[in-house]
This record gives sequence, structure tokens and C-alpha cells, in this order.
Amino acid sequence: MKVNMTMNHQRCTGHESALGMSRRRFLNSVGMGLGGIALADMMNPMSAAEAAMKGVMKNFHLAPKAKRIIFLFQAGGPSQIDTFDYKPTLNKLHGTQLPDEVRKGQRLTGMSGNQASLPLVGSPFKFEQHGKSGTWLSDRLPHTAKVVDDIAVVRSMYTEAINHGPGVTYIQTGSQFPGRPSMGAWLNYGLGSENENLPGFIVMVTKNKGGQPLVSRLWGSGFLPSKHQGVRFRSGKDPILYLTNPDGVDKTTRKRMLDTLNELHAMKLEKESDPQIETRIAQYELAFRMQMSVPEATDLSKEPDHIYELYGNGAKNPGSFPANCLMARRLAERGVRFIQLYHQGWDQHGGLPGGLSNQCKETDQASAALITDLKQRGMLDETLVVWGGEFGRTNYCQGKLSKNFGRDHHPRCFSIWMAGGGIKGGVTYGETDPYGYNIASDGVHVHDLQATILHTLGIDHERLTYKYQGRRFRLTDVHGHAVKDILA
Amino acid sequence: MLNFVKRSANVCCALMVVAGGWSGSAWAEDKPVDFAREILPILSDKCFVCHGPDAKKDELRLDSLEAATVDLGGYQALNPKTPSESELIFRIFDKTDPMPPEKAEKKLTDEERALLKKWVMQGGKYSKHWAFVAPKKSEVPKVGDDSISEVDRYVLEKIKAKGAEFAPEAEKTTLARRAALVLTGLPPSLELLDSFMNDSSEKAYEKYVDKLLAQDSYGEHQARYWLDAVRYGDTHGLHLDNKRGIYPYRDWVVSAFNRNLPMDDFITYQLAGDLLPNPTLEQIVATGFVRMNPTTSEGGVIAAEFQAKNNFDRTESIGTVLLGMTLNCARCHTHKYDPILHEEYFGLFAFFNSTAESPLDGNKYEYGPTVKAPQHYDAWEQWYAMQKEEASLLHKAEEHVKQKGDEGLKKRWAEADKEARIAMLLNPREPFAITPLHQGVIKLQNDMKAAEKGYTTTLVAKELPKPRKTFLLKRGEYNLPSGEPIEPDVLGVMNPLPEGAPRNRLGFAKWVTSRENPVVSRVWVNRVWQRVFGEGLVRTPEDFGLQGQQPTHPELLDWLAVEFQESGWDLKHLLRVMVTSRTFKQSSAWRKDLKDPENKLFARGPAHRLAAETLRDIALVSSDMLDPTMGGEGVKPYQPSGMWAAMSHPASNTKKYVRDKGERLYRKSLYVYYKRTSPHPMMTIFDAPSRESSCVRRSRTSTPSQSLGLLNETQRVELARKCAERLIKEAKTDEARLDLLFRLVASRKANEVEAKVCMQLLAGMKQRYETSQEDAMGLLTTGEAKRDENLDAGEVAAWTQVVITVLASDAAILLY
Repeated sequence: MKVNMTMNHQRCTGHESALGMSRRRFLNSVGMGLGGIALADMMNPMSAAEAAMKGVMKNFHLAPKAKRIIFLFQAGGPSQIDTFDYKPTLNKLHGTQLPDEVRKGQRLTGMSGNQASLPLVGSPFKFEQHGKSGTWLSDRLPHTAKVVDDIAVVRSMYTEAINHGPGVTYIQTGSQFPGRPSMGAWLNYGLGSENENLPGFIVMVTKNKGGQPLVSRLWGSGFLPSKHQGVRFRSGKDPILYLTNPDGVDKTTRKRMLDTLNELHAMKLEKESDPQIETRIAQYELAFRMQMSVPEATDLSKEPDHIYELYGNGAKNPGSFPANCLMARRLAERGVRFIQLYHQGWDQHGGLPGGLSNQCKETDQASAALITDLKQRGMLDETLVVWGGEFGRTNYCQGKLSKNFGRDHHPRCFSIWMAGGGIKGGVTYGETDPYGYNIASDGVHVHDLQATILHTLGIDHERLTYKYQGRRFRLTDVHGHAVKDILA
Repeated sequence: MLNFVKRSANVCCALMVVAGGWSGSAWAEDKPVDFAREILPILSDKCFVCHGPDAKKDELRLDSLEAATVDLGGYQALNPKTPSESELIFRIFDKTDPMPPEKAEKKLTDEERALLKKWVMQGGKYSKHWAFVAPKKSEVPKVGDDSISEVDRYVLEKIKAKGAEFAPEAEKTTLARRAALVLTGLPPSLELLDSFMNDSSEKAYEKYVDKLLAQDSYGEHQARYWLDAVRYGDTHGLHLDNKRGIYPYRDWVVSAFNRNLPMDDFITYQLAGDLLPNPTLEQIVATGFVRMNPTTSEGGVIAAEFQAKNNFDRTESIGTVLLGMTLNCARCHTHKYDPILHEEYFGLFAFFNSTAESPLDGNKYEYGPTVKAPQHYDAWEQWYAMQKEEASLLHKAEEHVKQKGDEGLKKRWAEADKEARIAMLLNPREPFAITPLHQGVIKLQNDMKAAEKGYTTTLVAKELPKPRKTFLLKRGEYNLPSGEPIEPDVLGVMNPLPEGAPRNRLGFAKWVTSRENPVVSRVWVNRVWQRVFGEGLVRTPEDFGLQGQQPTHPELLDWLAVEFQESGWDLKHLLRVMVTSRTFKQSSAWRKDLKDPENKLFARGPAHRLAAETLRDIALVSSDMLDPTMGGEGVKPYQPSGMWAAMSHPASNTKKYVRDKGERLYRKSLYVYYKRTSPHPMMTIFDAPSRESSCVRRSRTSTPSQSLGLLNETQRVELARKCAERLIKEAKTDEARLDLLFRLVASRKANEVEAKVCMQLLAGMKQRYETSQEDAMGLLTTGEAKRDENLDAGEVAAWTQVVITVLASDAAILLY
């Protein structure tokens, strides 16, 4: 039995109309009951034909390269100067003042805005070129170094936000203000889900990290119908809220209850012909299937040792970044459209050398492993992987210059990388000035990044719109251009 | 995008050939085109993106007659003298260089072209967009049945036009449940239900409605919609998302609805209660509305930036909630569609730019200015009682002064303000000392002091002694102020600021509540209609502008808007008009004789899934577990562990969710703690908004998460087993128990099919749990409430499963 999870056509009201499912089809599904659902059904995403266009988009705007995204969000603002953007000039000028002609009146946050001096600080880490592409990386990223020929490093990202809340919201929703749908919600709305037994947009947050807060609006649906919002998978027995039956209720018991519900609803439908009743039946059935498909998808215990070794030992610790990366691969295999990871802790206002090293240790191996693993399974071509945070960090130190220096928020340039579906590997795109302060060439704005991501999925960012409050909104607001030079 | 360009005389001749043989007079004979309803939506939708109010100078504009008739160098967009010469007509039919251009997102249809042509040929008259013209009552249509209400006659007229009639009336029990849910957010209690069912008098239903309107749950339910609109939350909303002390405002809102405060006062107090002469505590607390925007104190943020951002939020929310206008666009530039200039946005902005709070919240609970206010609903009730008592004492004192004939006293009394009069009553040397008034005032003062000891802080609005200057911000950037300071001012397209109204929040309130204001009462009645009938008369309640939807029943909307104003902004009256209508009483079954899936004719009753709060409250009342305490600090029922901690800043004082115990677990859902960055999951799963931004219409989705929540969530299981105990104790047979269950959630007994399938389930479950005591106990220890050990565990467990199932079925979770 196939029940289309996204059969409802959206009206611009945000209320669902359930007119998509035929009555005959519904009655068939009720007639079959839930008994016909086999576990095998759950593993198999819909066939290609069935998967075609489950969202509002009738056709792809462009030829899609990627089918899905894994976004490894590094929250807090990783220092580009100490990871991807090699600036020997800063080492030479270490301790000297940031020249005014470089700063050009750029506003500073309230944290370093009152500093009497802004001493430049070179990266304490060693940079080398790697791979055939000769991509520069600091020695904090030894594992990423092994996959540089598969990734495109963008060193010329920029944003307008200088604080975390607005900054993260900007990347995830296209606006610094709360209220807009997140990128995953847009994709869910536009393309629908590839797997009828799992949510199309799943979020995982590294546990016990703390640091700058995350907010559910980052995976919220904004003004889109709330069914498009991301579902946060938690580590532990209930990856999805309320997934597990209460004590004393087993699968058979639950099935009996659902059969009763079906009969009650069928009777009501017969009487009132209201299609929303049909939708609800489908949702109960999907929930029942998810009670089996989610534990199956999130059960890492059967992964072989060499996979754990690839992702790093943390992968055995549920909720860690490596475990979430491994989980992301499993969800990608099952056709989840948008898998969003968050790893907090990149906000090194002080203690950067130690703090950043720890962050890299927690994320470097698993991020690289994800690329390797997807590649060896032949999935990298169709899976877009994005790694990056909400802004960069200053080339000068916050507070007094010391060994244990920190860097303040910096919106004018930062680095991210992308890999896989639709992206050229072994590319370094964009340049910053020798100070690592301003963009020298090929700037990529937040909206450009979003346009590029949508492009790889076959979406013209100007055409995926939703009318609300009298205006056609889109993820990229009224801006954005796909960065063609990094597209494969 | 291409611009209109001057065409040559040759092309002009070609046009005449193509268009062939029009003459102005022939067009004039046709039925006149209604500009506001037929033409403006087309222009707005297809043309204004380039040729609207924000078009550059010297560019062709179509948004007003003046702009469209500008001589653009030998030609005009609209040529009133020779309509056929109008550039508009030429270009929309031009094959080689058409308008809208080839690559435009939206093109004209043939019908639209024909309509535009007809309009131009009839003289191209402009009129205002309907929502910018103050509503008037039109003549109520004659539909052959004068016994039905005005509302019904407007609705029936359109149904009849489709050759149909009203749907049959819903069954009495259905109607009883529907009215109770719409007015109070709960099904009727069994006593109320029975009294209505047994009342065969002619006015039985009206009496029933009045009883519902008099329940405390009425105010609670109506408040919920308002709290969504004003984005009420118990936390600051950004960054640390720390606790914010503002729940006395929420309790005031409930109380205002229950006291049926006229809605114009309701609005005025909230916008500007502090600026009223001698404001009362209630009027000041109401200004919490102005303080409802999310705030931050994130390290490093720039105060000036958040002064602007906070006020953008405030201005735009007021646009949504009161004006039904999307002002957001005009923050950065002149509105593309609606006639709102960039400067005008900052005119509105200026009304709210002089409040005294710091732009950063300091992560403080008492984010000043604050006042001390009643700490829960009963304390408010007491406050009102004391106000009444005080007024009564002063009134009696006045009488006393009049009778006494003491000229000195008379004079002193006349010159004294309220406080001085109270002081006189308290003064043992004044002549009042020998009257009971003296003792009365002493007692009242003591009572007030005692009550105030329990009061708690709440955020309020206060004006700076010297107004903050407002400038137009280029592109909406706080650091790009431009030009001269902008005075507070209202939108030019609407009514002017009433004469003598000050240019501050109070003046703004007078403008908003003025009879001349074209949008506010319409927006208000539309939202009330939406909550009663499931959908608004305007289906974009947040946008009455040019891009919003046209009303399905424009004359009805206007009739209601004026009726509402004429009734003294009496919400209970408005609701009574709606729920006693024949329109409301219709059966909600889908009709085979009409093709109207979205119910735009309102030719069937409302049917939709109930709101998150109502779903939980139904379970609370059916299990008889509801704690009726009203108001106070937000409550924290069961919630899966770690939900707050997972995302909070380590320094946040809301990173740890400390679940309540005992009665507080069973409070009404209105009082569930609203942490804006992570509201309760059983609320958000069922489409409750995050309260970070204004929401005047919740989405209504159907998702698997909802199914899981309904069947597995701790509180639902707990309430189901308490309900099971109740059924077993209150009814003797299983059949009677099932009937009781259905009466509690569906206001009627189970029908034959329901009884059959539920009894089958019960039999199966009895078998299952009687053989597995351990499973039964597992189920019966879900949640904190103690189980009744006198009852058989197997039986209670079996009934628990039946209750969970019925509570998750459409009989319980839908309005129908």
C-alpha cells in the first residue's frame, strides 16, 4: 500500500485542502487495513516515477544534479583565518594595528567596538597545500585534507549579520528576522519527500555542546504550512517525539486501536464526505510505519567496524557529531531530502588556539568520512554536502593580544565548503585581501549560497515562491545568483 | 524589465487596424466595469511590480489616475480624451513588444486584456481600493424570507445565485457542541448540554449561547486568538531567551474579554493606556501589548540597531493585527502594491519610537519599565471589585457633601482630585470621620495594601520625557538615517488623524478606533468570522491590501464592521449575531449539489481540526482532571526531557525545563509556559505558532507527528486512564460507559457503528490486559496521577485504550 505523504495541494492560506486523494483509493487503503505493511516496504523509497514531484513544483526548473542535502552547520562562526583562508601577511604583521583603509569604517560588534586598539593576529597553525588541487588548509583539518579534491572551498562568503541569532537565521531562512521558512522547509514544500516512511526534513544537533543557542525557527516552516517544518531527531529511545508506544502497549495492541480508528473515520467519511478525514487516516498509517522505519533507520548497531573507524570513535556515542554524520548517511540512503546537522561551539572570542583545535577534532574526521563514505557508495554525485557557519572571525584579536587570543565576529568574509551533487571538486573559489578582512574577488553572499544550493537540486531560486501577506516570498528574498563557477 | 516606450505614428495606425472599429460610445453602453473589484486586482497583480507606487520618476505608472495620465512625451498610459490612444491598451495587445513582457513571471489572460480594454474605453475611471474606503451598511438583500437575520440574507443571496439553499440545520447536539467549542474552546458540560437539550422553548438556543458567553472559559478562549496575534510569550524570544515577567497582561486580556470591555477601549488601553488621563492600573498593564516584541541582549549587539529592529517589529505587527496591512515592504522602500510611501512607514514607526525601555533587554525578567500588577485572575477580580467599591464610596461621599450644605467642604471637595478625596475621607478631622464612609475607606485601603503585597511585575510602555527623533532609514538600515526628522503620522490613503488627536500613541489609538478608519473594524470582524466559521470573509486576514484576497461577501463584511462599531465595539454582541445565524447552524456535511470545496459560499457549517489547546483541554475536562485556577505564571506540564537544554545558551535561565507537579499539570492550555524559542511540542505539533511574530491565522495541517502525539504523549495517556476510571465509576454497564464517553467529547451518545467497533476493541483489550497484569500496570502508571486502586487494573487499562482511541478520533478532534 502506498500512501502519498504529500498529497495535499497547498492553498496559499496555509490551510490544507485534502482533495488530492481519490475516494476509491482511500477506501481501498482502509479496506486493506494496516496488516499489509511489511518492513520491506519501509526500506524502499518510492520508485523514481512515484517520487517525481511530490511537492508543489510541477517540474524541475533546471536539470537537478543533487537529490538531497546534508548541511553540516558549524554554529558560532568558525575562524576562516585558522582553517581555510591562509593569510601569511597576518603573521608578518602580527601585533600591528588593523589599518583604517582596510577596515573602511566597517561596523564592529559591541564586544570589540570599544577596543582602543585592534592588533592583527596571525594564525598560530601551519598551512599546507593538499591533493591534486593544491587546496590550502591549516593543520587542524588533517582529514579534510584527504578529501580536498572532492570539495569546493568558498573563501569569499559574506553576510550582513554580525550577531549569532540574526546570522544563523539569515543562512537558514534568507532573512535575519524570525518568521520566514527555513531552507529545508522550502525544499519540502517545493519537492516533497522521497521516502513515504520518513520525514523529508530531519535535524540533528550535537548533544552536550552548548554555546550559542539554536532555535527551532531555524528548521521552522515560517509562513509555510507547518508540516514542512524540520523534525528534530533526538539521540535516545525516541528519535522523534512520541515515537514510542506507552508502557503496556505493543505493536499488536496499537494496530487494533488503529483499525478501530479507521473504522470510525470511514464511517464519518461515508456520512460527511469531508476529504480532510482521508488525510488524517493517511497520517495515522504513516505514523504507524514510522514507528518501525525510524528505529530501523537510526539503529547504528549493525554498522561494521570499518565504518566506525572511518567516522571516528565518537560515532559509537549517540548524539555526537560523528554519530550524527553516520546517521545522516543512513538517512540519505533512505531518501530523506534535507538532513541538517548542527554543531555548536565555534564562537572563539577568547582561547581560540585551544578552542578551535577541539572543535576541529570533533568535526574534521567525521565530515571527511561522510564524503568518503558517500563516495564509496556511489551516492556523492547525488548528495550535496555543505559545511560552514554563519559568519567569519576578525583578523584582529578581541581584547589584549596574548597567546590565548580570541577573534570577534566578522561578516565581511568567511569560508565554507561544498561537495557532491552538482559541485565541482578540487576547487577553491573567491579571494580575500591579504589581511583576510575584505573580499578581493568573487564574493558569495548568503543569498548566493542559497541560490546555488537550490540550483543543484534543480530549482531556480527566483521561481520557488509562496504568497503570504500579499507578497511572493522566496528563500533568497529579492537577491541571489547561483555561483556557476563551482557547479559541475 | 522592459519599459513602455513611445511608439511611432505608424505603429499607432497599425493598432487602429488591429483593434479595428472601436468607438467610445459602444463601450459606454456596457455594464460599467468596477475598477476596485475588477481592474485594480489585475493591475496590482500583473503591472504594479514595475508600474506601481514605487516606480521611478518619469516611468509609466498605473497606480492612480494622476500618474497614469501624465504626459510621457506625446503619449499617456491612459488617454482620457481618446481612450483608444492609451499606451496601456496598445502595449497589452502588442505582439512584438507586449506588456507584461515575455519573460515576466505573470502574464495577462485574454479575459483580463478584454476587461482592461473595456475599462479604458469606458473612460478609465479610478476609485480607491475597497479596503481604503470606510465601510457602510448597504441595503440588506431580499431573499424571500425576512425571518432570517441580516447575516443570513447576505449569505443566502449568494447561495441562491448558485441555485441552492442553506444546508439543513445540524442536529441539536452537534450545534450545542459547535457553539460551545467556538465560544469557549470546550464542549459543553453535561449539565449545560442536558439543560439545553431539555429546553424546548423557542429561545432555548439563544439562552444556551448566553450561558456560554457568561462562562470564564469564554474569555480564556477568545484571549488565545489575541495572544497569537500580539505574539504573547513568557520569554524574551532572542538569544538567551530568558524569562520575561508579563503574564499579568495575559490575565488582563482574559478578564477584558470576560467583562466584555468594548473592543475600542481594549485597543486603546493596549496602545496607549499609559497616556490616558489618570490611567488606572489596568490601563497601564494593557500597554504590555507595546512591549510584546521579542528582544535580545546578545553580547556585542548594537543598541541603535535593536532600537530600530524592535520598532520595525512593533510597527509591522500593528500593521498585521490592527490594519490588516503588510507594512514590511515599506520599511525599505515605497510599497510596490499598496499606496504606502517609504516616508509613511516611518511616520507610523515614529508613534512607537519614543517608548522608554532600553533597546536591549539585559536578559532581565523585570525589563523595565514595569509595574506591579495582580498576580493571577482572582487577584484581578479582586482589583476590579475594589475599584468598584472605591467608586461607590466616592459616590456616596459626593452625595454626603451635597446634602451637608457645608460650603467650605463643598469647595474643598470640588477642588480635590480622586486621590485628595480619598485623603479627605481618611482624615479623622474631616466631617466624613463620623460616617461609615471613613471606616469603609480605611478598610478598602488596607485591603488594597494587602492585595498589593502579592502583586508581581509586568512590562509596560512608558513615554520618554523627550521624544526620540525618527528619521527615514534608507533601505531600512538603522545606520542610514536620511533627511529631516519625521513626525508621527498616519497613512495618507486612510482617514486623517482625528482633529485634536495628539501625535503620540494615544492619537494613533484614536485614529485606529475612529469610525472613519476603513480597515480596523473590518479586520476585526473578519477575524471573528474566521474563528466562528473556520475561514474569513477575506481569506487573507493579515492582508486587506491590493495583494490580499477580495472578500467573498463584501457587503456582509461591511455590514458586520458597521454593526460592530454601532454596537459599541461589543464583541459578545458580534459573536451572538454570528452563532445564532442560520448560516452557523447548517450541517457541516459536504454537499453533493454544490461544488464549493473551500466553502466560499458558506453553504455548509464549519468543519476543521481543533486547535492544539482545545485538544488538550478536551482531554482535561473529559477526565475531570482540569484544575480551574485561572492565570498566574505559565505552567509546565509533561514534556520530553532535554528539549530546552538541547538548544539553549548555557547562561540562559530557561535552559532547564522543570516540570510542574500536582494541580499545575492540569491547568488549561492557555496557561502553558510559552518559551518562544521552544514552545511546548504538543502545541507546535498542532500548529500553535512560536509567538516570535504575529499570527492571525494558524495553519491546520495533518501530520504523522500529530498521530504519534495523540496516541503516545504522557499526558494524553494519563488523562485517558483517569477518564477510564471516571467512566467505570459513573456508569454501570459498558454500553452506558461508552455513551458517557461520547457525551463528554462529542456531546451525544455513540451511534450504532461506533458502539459496535468500540465494544469490539474493548473486548479485545480486556482479554489482553486481564491476562497481562504487568502491561496493564505499565499503562496505568503513565503520568503522575495516582490510579484508583479499588478498580480492576485490567478493566481500567482496557477502557484506557478505548478512551485514547476515541479521543484521537474525528468525533473528538474536529469541529463539525
